[in-house]
Amino acid sequence: MNELSALSQRAVREAIRTPEALFPALFIPLFFLVVNVGQAARIFPTDETPFLNGQSYAAFQLPSSLLLAASFGAAALYLVEEIEGGYFDKLRAAPISRMSLVLGRLYSEFVKCLVLSAFMVAVALPFGIRIESGVLGFFVLVIMISLWSAVFNGFIQLIALATRSAAATQSGSMVFFPLLFLTPNFVPRNLLTRPMEIAATWNPVTYIMEAARTLILDGFDGAALLKGFAVIAGAGTLMLVLSVRMVNNYD
Amino acid sequence: MTIGAQSAITAVGLKKTYTGRDGEVEAVRGVDLDVASGEVFGFLGPNGAGKSTTVRMLTTLMTITAGTAHVAGVDVAANPNEARRKIGVALQEAGLDPRQTGRELLALQARLFGHNAKSAAVRAGELLELVDLTESADRRVKGYSGGMKRRLDLASALVHQPEVLFLDEPTTGLDPASRLTVWEEVRRINAMGTTVFLTTQYLEEADQLCNRLAIIDHGGIIREGTPSSLKSELRERTGMVTEPTLDDVFLDATGGTRVRGAGEVQEIQS
Repeated sequence: MNELSALSQRAVREAIRTPEALFPALFIPLFFLVVNVGQAARIFPTDETPFLNGQSYAAFQLPSSLLLAASFGAAALYLVEEIEGGYFDKLRAAPISRMSLVLGRLYSEFVKCLVLSAFMVAVALPFGIRIESGVLGFFVLVIMISLWSAVFNGFIQLIALATRSAAATQSGSMVFFPLLFLTPNFVPRNLLTRPMEIAATWNPVTYIMEAARTLILDGFDGAALLKGFAVIAGAGTLMLVLSVRMVNNYD
Repeated sequence: MTIGAQSAITAVGLKKTYTGRDGEVEAVRGVDLDVASGEVFGFLGPNGAGKSTTVRMLTTLMTITAGTAHVAGVDVAANPNEARRKIGVALQEAGLDPRQTGRELLALQARLFGHNAKSAAVRAGELLELVDLTESADRRVKGYSGGMKRRLDLASALVHQPEVLFLDEPTTGLDPASRLTVWEEVRRINAMGTTVFLTTQYLEEADQLCNRLAIIDHGGIIREGTPSSLKSELRERTGMVTEPTLDDVFLDATGGTRVRGAGEVQEIQS
């Protein structure tokens, strides 16, 4: 735990020293929120749209923006820098668990996303968005999104470990972006066309989005939350197993 | 430093094979090593000879294809974490985190070797003093000169007072003054009881620092002995009139030649 705590603190310190890395993670999701709501809000008026539960369309869109913000991590690119500069070898030569090498930077992604998502929700509140599940729901929401951020960025970090190249990592990360959009991000799943509904049903990110949406629009929905957290736990376990194996066999 | 009878490093039939685009590549082909405790052991060879690959296998950073390696009595393949506790590593590129300060970097390294936050801070302070970086301790590493980075890298390899220190080309790219400073550090570290395994391309460096050395080429060891024994062997074998240098030993071993070009610059080609 001492080693994980030391590596996590270092990664958080690094994030504080590079605030410019937070800009795209904040600006782009807020931009999409404003644009999407601006384009579609009149199609889905609050009074005539049952799935909004009396809220504005922005409340429905907020989870998509939070998940987009969660995907903008810097862990993988910093890792590539460390591999190229030789510091990763220094860390590998220390008698520490390989898991702490993987988790150190992801903890920083978790913390960054906590701050970002809390800020985004705070920005949204004056525009008439309510968190139906209350203060506790707000905390569950930002923790869930931030855990997903750590897992998602863990997969990008895995690409960095495999390719050891910044360009390949950036290209590789694009593979994961369709996951954010093959979701019910504009309308609920039952209103999607059949092919999109099938894609969204198979896409694990859908269940995190739906869990986040219930916290904002409906209150606590145990089944939806269970599915959301189960996806995070399953994907997180897979990411960790693959990452530790990759570090163990790293030559 | 007294050189002990006990081995600090032993390798038997050490091999590393890669599968590249053109098929299998044997980077290291059955290296045997026996480095006594307390020695400064030099490991020389031309570029691509297998020096760094051997160091990476001995320091647990690379898997071993065949053979065995023990460092400080620990099998590096079977017990990598135990081996890591006994070795310090400063690789070819000074492996440092540019966004941290020198003090933070050393404190982190100390915590990775089991210190708590308080004792890590104390240890970082001691090491900064040892390598004369106290004044720059709270500046980010990004702004350090090449020599300062190399000294910080050395210090970070010493946080846990390792039994064996691996230095992979520690002076490559340094100016002559910084190089001399690193040499002094190496002597001081060795005098404190640490066995030093040093790879270098600078033969003068090997002559100055090493008790014994080995020359590796094409993945295999082709000469081994003390600098003076290697020079004597060459003189006796070739009947040289003047006292051979380590350059002569190296060129004889690797089949290289000297070329004197314009401006009196002497180039060694292997």
